[in-house]
Amino acid sequence: MKPSERGILSSYDLKKGTVITGYTIMVLLMICMTLTILYPFFNTFFSSLKTREEFFAFPPTFFPKEWIWKNYEDAWTQFDLPLLTFLKNTIFIYLGNVVFSLMFIGLAAFALSHLRLPLKKWVTLYFFSTLLIPPATYIVPNFLNLKSLGLINTYWAFWLPAAANAYFMLLLKNFFDGIHKEILEAARIDGASEFISYMRIAVPLSTPIIGTLLMLAFSTTWNDFYWPNIVMADKSMYPLATGIYRYVVYPTSVIPWSVRFAVLTMAMLPPVIFFLTFQRFIVRGLSASSVKG
Amino acid sequence: MEDVHYVQTAAAKASARKKFNWYFWGTLFILPEIILFFIFLWVPILKGIFYSFYNIDFVDGNHFTGLDNYISIFQGELLLTSIKNTLYYMLLGVVLGFWIPPLVAIAVTELKWFQGAARIIGYLPSAVPAIVLYGMWMWFFDAVGPINSFLQTIGLQPIEFFSPHMSMISIVILETWQSFGAATLIYIAAIVSIPRELYEAAEIDGASVWQRIRHITLPSIRTLMLLLLLLQLITTSQGFQAQLSMTDGGPNNATLTYLLWMNHTAFRDLNFGKASAMGSLMFFVLILLSIVYNLLQRRSEKA
Repeated sequence: MKPSERGILSSYDLKKGTVITGYTIMVLLMICMTLTILYPFFNTFFSSLKTREEFFAFPPTFFPKEWIWKNYEDAWTQFDLPLLTFLKNTIFIYLGNVVFSLMFIGLAAFALSHLRLPLKKWVTLYFFSTLLIPPATYIVPNFLNLKSLGLINTYWAFWLPAAANAYFMLLLKNFFDGIHKEILEAARIDGASEFISYMRIAVPLSTPIIGTLLMLAFSTTWNDFYWPNIVMADKSMYPLATGIYRYVVYPTSVIPWSVRFAVLTMAMLPPVIFFLTFQRFIVRGLSASSVKG
Repeated sequence: MEDVHYVQTAAAKASARKKFNWYFWGTLFILPEIILFFIFLWVPILKGIFYSFYNIDFVDGNHFTGLDNYISIFQGELLLTSIKNTLYYMLLGVVLGFWIPPLVAIAVTELKWFQGAARIIGYLPSAVPAIVLYGMWMWFFDAVGPINSFLQTIGLQPIEFFSPHMSMISIVILETWQSFGAATLIYIAAIVSIPRELYEAAEIDGASVWQRIRHITLPSIRTLMLLLLLLQLITTSQGFQAQLSMTDGGPNNATLTYLLWMNHTAFRDLNFGKASAMGSLMFFVLILLSIVYNLLQRRSEKA
């Protein structure tokens, strides 16, 4: 066996009794763990199809006796939950965030990486030192600031601050740093302006990192329930996560559990599909966000 | 004399134009971001410290109140309770959650089959919106929920997951379940990059499997573990959203973390001045931690 094909264990180890026992236990533990992860998801889905009586049955059933799709219908119609509006708002916020952040951050990252700037060191420090400041500590002044700018209860309160993201800028800049100066130099000699060479050379070369950023932005937008709850004042403006937080899963919720789970199942389906489709990018994004081991 | 002067200004003009062209595109590209960062990051950050000395009133205007906000933080028991809860939460996160990802990562990289599937499944909880998970787990932790039904079926006492003693532990269990997959992927990346020859050589020298893990795998990911530990501490010290949506700080303030208290102060009691002061206090403590983290990260990148 070539060294590149082995792990900690070699094929020789797997002939020893103690190692086989240990390996079997490990595999069994992994299977248990997998089940622990998957069980809540399947339980949520199947419970969302149960009758209200069966939901509380003891001993609990895993599969519903009858598949009550009416719970889903109820979720849409019975409890004054404007799910479609929530969904539309989420997508609206996401699209705006992506447009504003990629447009402005991209240009700035390109400038930091390939263009001449006055006081470049200080500008870099100005941007990246914000990474050191934990966002949770300025939630309150951030809100007051948006309020004094008159942006409360508008989508601008998401879109414009989305462009002030030093982390995205760092990822983009690191990627642009990898583009050879010669390519851009050649474009300059051929008479391309910097903007043209950015749009026609840097952007097309950066599709992997842009994909990663689109992913990260998607999960942030889809996840965030607290901040929109503060910034938005009308039910018709809430994104999905906030709508669920305020009207579905709050501790004294009156919505029956099976219907609640129907809403939750619908809310987790898009990100799960999104994740399964684009998992390559996510994994890359994760290793980009982490340190080299 | 005039000629010289003329030549000088012309040269100055030319060099100014050259300077202008030299910097034009870069400045143009970066200016919008400088403005956006200023308005939406630097102003709030600095205003937070400024507001902490004021009584914020949307109707009558703000009044300077000196250190009153800070004094009122230190009055009453909530500061001590919330700091204790936050530290307890951070500790539980380490005790219950921190050691799982490296072990799982080692196990996954040794799997002969379904490695890819294991990675995807492990990351699945991180892909789902947190609020959905909170909703799900509120049922799993319910007095008649699946976990307690199961315990009763096998003849054990049901657990009251949201009692004052258990509620923080319940939240940490949920969050560990939610986030260990993402950390595992980071560890896997590190473990996969360990040269296989090391294991080969160790095995030839007669090292047992455990010794190989102990002396090759673990030392190679030690820096990473330290970094992720710090990162986890920084994250958990700011935790409040799970507590907010699952117990809202209760029962009897058992899950009231510092930042949850701050958010209650601001958006429930509408005492924005005091909340800004609480944010500023937190800011100075966390800044210290962030600096330590970044120093370590820089050291590991050099290594």
